[in-house]
Amino acid sequence: MMSANRWMATGNYFTTYRQEQRIFATHTDRLIFALFLVVLFSWPYFIELSTKHMLVVDNILIAVIAVYGLNLVTGFAGQISVGHAAFMGVGAYTVAAVAGVIGDQHVLITHAWPLMILLSGFTGAAMGLIVGLPALRLRHLYLLMATLSFQLIFQWVIGSMELFNQGQFMYVGRVHWFSGEVGRSQHYMFWYYALLVTVVVSGLGVRNILRTRYGRSLVAVRDNDRAADAMGMHPGLTKVFAFGLAGFFAGIAGALQAYLNRGAGFETFTLHESIQYLAMTIVGGLGQVTGCLFGPAAIRILDLQVESLAQWAGGILPSSLDLATGLRPLSFGLVIVLFLIFEPRGIANWWRIIRSYVKLWPFRY
Amino acid sequence: MKTKKISIWLVVAAAALMLAAPGSAMAGEVYKTALSLAITGPTSDAGNPYSKGVEDYFRYVNDMNLLGDDTVDCTIRDDKYETAITKRNFEEFLDMGIVFYLNYSTGSTLALKRDFEEVEMPTLPASYHAGNIEGSDYIFLPIASYSAQNIGLAEYVVDHHEGGTPKVAMYVHPSAFGREPVKDVEKAIEAGLDIEIVETVEHGQDLDVTGMLQRWRSKGVQYVISQTVQSPVATMLKGANILGLVAQSFGEKGKITFLGAHYTGGNDLVALAGDAAENFYWTTSFITTSESSAGADAQLDLAERYGRDEKTANSHNYAAGILVAEITTEVIKRAKAKGKEITRENLYKELLDMNGMNAFYSQTAVGPVTYSKDDQQGVDTLQLYVVQDGEFRAEGKPFISEYPEKIK
Repeated sequence: MMSANRWMATGNYFTTYRQEQRIFATHTDRLIFALFLVVLFSWPYFIELSTKHMLVVDNILIAVIAVYGLNLVTGFAGQISVGHAAFMGVGAYTVAAVAGVIGDQHVLITHAWPLMILLSGFTGAAMGLIVGLPALRLRHLYLLMATLSFQLIFQWVIGSMELFNQGQFMYVGRVHWFSGEVGRSQHYMFWYYALLVTVVVSGLGVRNILRTRYGRSLVAVRDNDRAADAMGMHPGLTKVFAFGLAGFFAGIAGALQAYLNRGAGFETFTLHESIQYLAMTIVGGLGQVTGCLFGPAAIRILDLQVESLAQWAGGILPSSLDLATGLRPLSFGLVIVLFLIFEPRGIANWWRIIRSYVKLWPFRY
Repeated sequence: MKTKKISIWLVVAAAALMLAAPGSAMAGEVYKTALSLAITGPTSDAGNPYSKGVEDYFRYVNDMNLLGDDTVDCTIRDDKYETAITKRNFEEFLDMGIVFYLNYSTGSTLALKRDFEEVEMPTLPASYHAGNIEGSDYIFLPIASYSAQNIGLAEYVVDHHEGGTPKVAMYVHPSAFGREPVKDVEKAIEAGLDIEIVETVEHGQDLDVTGMLQRWRSKGVQYVISQTVQSPVATMLKGANILGLVAQSFGEKGKITFLGAHYTGGNDLVALAGDAAENFYWTTSFITTSESSAGADAQLDLAERYGRDEKTANSHNYAAGILVAEITTEVIKRAKAKGKEITRENLYKELLDMNGMNAFYSQTAVGPVTYSKDDQQGVDTLQLYVVQDGEFRAEGKPFISEYPEKIK
């Protein structure tokens, strides 16, 4: 039986699974989400951000899309992947390789860019399905080694093949919109909106996947794959499916990265980056869609702060010791370890606590 | 009473403003430039002294009033050898209104090439990759390209080798930085350079390469030309030393003579390889402080003036940093002398005019810096050095490699 007032959280009792699976439990939730979207779409009209910081915001949004994928495979399906940057690389190099073959000013690259981004997503998904195959037989550390191998193979292939310019930067032309070519002055703002739309659509997509039987299978396999098997699910195919989904989102993110950077270079898709995405997923909150938003923002902002600290330290510490170089990996390692010890549910849990408090206010429980 | 007090303060404030106004008018212009490079992270062993060279020279320019009342404000940012950070830094520099830009790595220079073209930003990178200037009007290499350096070494081998075609192995970095010069050496061979490349090896991160050296010995390799950074070369030299393969004189029969381009040599190589670095041949366009010269004295004086340690003071990367700062200062000086406004466009024009009688002679380079529409490599002259008793000693006169022109 439903509450008489759909605006209030109190008295909202679900009588069907369908009701429980609703994305927005109350109209208030829906309204807040709508207002949040209005803020996200309108703030650039009121607040002027420097190009540098606009680029940072764009990169956070790209990471959000990538972390959607990684969270599906790691947080929801319980598999481990340390090759996520390589999946992104597959997406980026799909655009870059096509641009290399047909020309980076070809109409397919400059005008049909949404199609190219989608194509990159499917290429990433195909690669995800292939890399996910070992998940049929492997678990834990062994699966980690398989994904690590993919990361290394990717770097080797890109660095060796002429098709990928042997790892040298491959250019992607400027895109066109209804108003014509998106020039330098509008570049980062244009991609902010393109990325924001992708983040919202992907987020709703992920949330909807999790409502389906396929989504629930991911969680069931993560919690106990034998029990899931006994319930009629196919744990192996579910894991492969998770890798395919992760590859799809990574491919989309990679293609967007290529368009934003106006090209692809393999330095953007190294093992170090893969570990960063893993850190974003853990810090944001494993198995939480909202965690996909918090993790990238937190890590990218931390990155900026550590950069300033390392530069300052590099200026005063003896150069022969090169101690400042270690500050960045040290800070990342520390953040991950601290989160795993003190807040394994990530920043998303803080958000959950705040929401619970606000939802019940002025009552305590 | 209160009104009177306020009036007195207003008069005092107005007088203070009037006194301050002429002073501020005489303070001169501030020309903004910027450098993004790896102060930490990979290649920071080169980036760190390079940044200090740039920083110190601009401090010297400002302290000594080399631009009159005007000063250069060079913002230096660490990019950790990551192209994404370099791009972010560059966007920030553009917002700051820079008129000249100094970049660092091959990867980021290639990645930002189109940005430099779009915003018409004259740029001097620390990467001497020939591909940087292909299809670019605004990137200028400070010295001869890696290709020219490697071809120069090959030419030296041909000129000093006795008996038949010299057999050469190339030992290169697994990237564009390492690979592209090999292609140009091959083109030079097609154009008539008489060497045989027996094998090209892209190194990994091996700590022992004696197997590779044994293979080269069995293939009759007489010379190894390296196009990479110091540490893999040091590993190779140590291995060759253990095997007793290092030629004690150039081209010694039955042994291998090791040679390398700019980033393979310098004091860091001697520190890493120790005695194994003896008789290693190295080419660059910079002077070294182990050879007495006015440039070496100037470099050491600058380092001492700003309290740099001995390692930095003697680094050829410190010299490289000084060179790009010198070129930047020179174009500003020339534009000022012509009464031009200091803009990207005018500094670019000054760079293009830097040739013939207008060539620029730097303290830290072995030849003149020349640029024009058709010449985007600054110092074409190279000097060969050889390690003797742990120090780099000049071998012969400075030279310009011939084949780069023939294979254009």
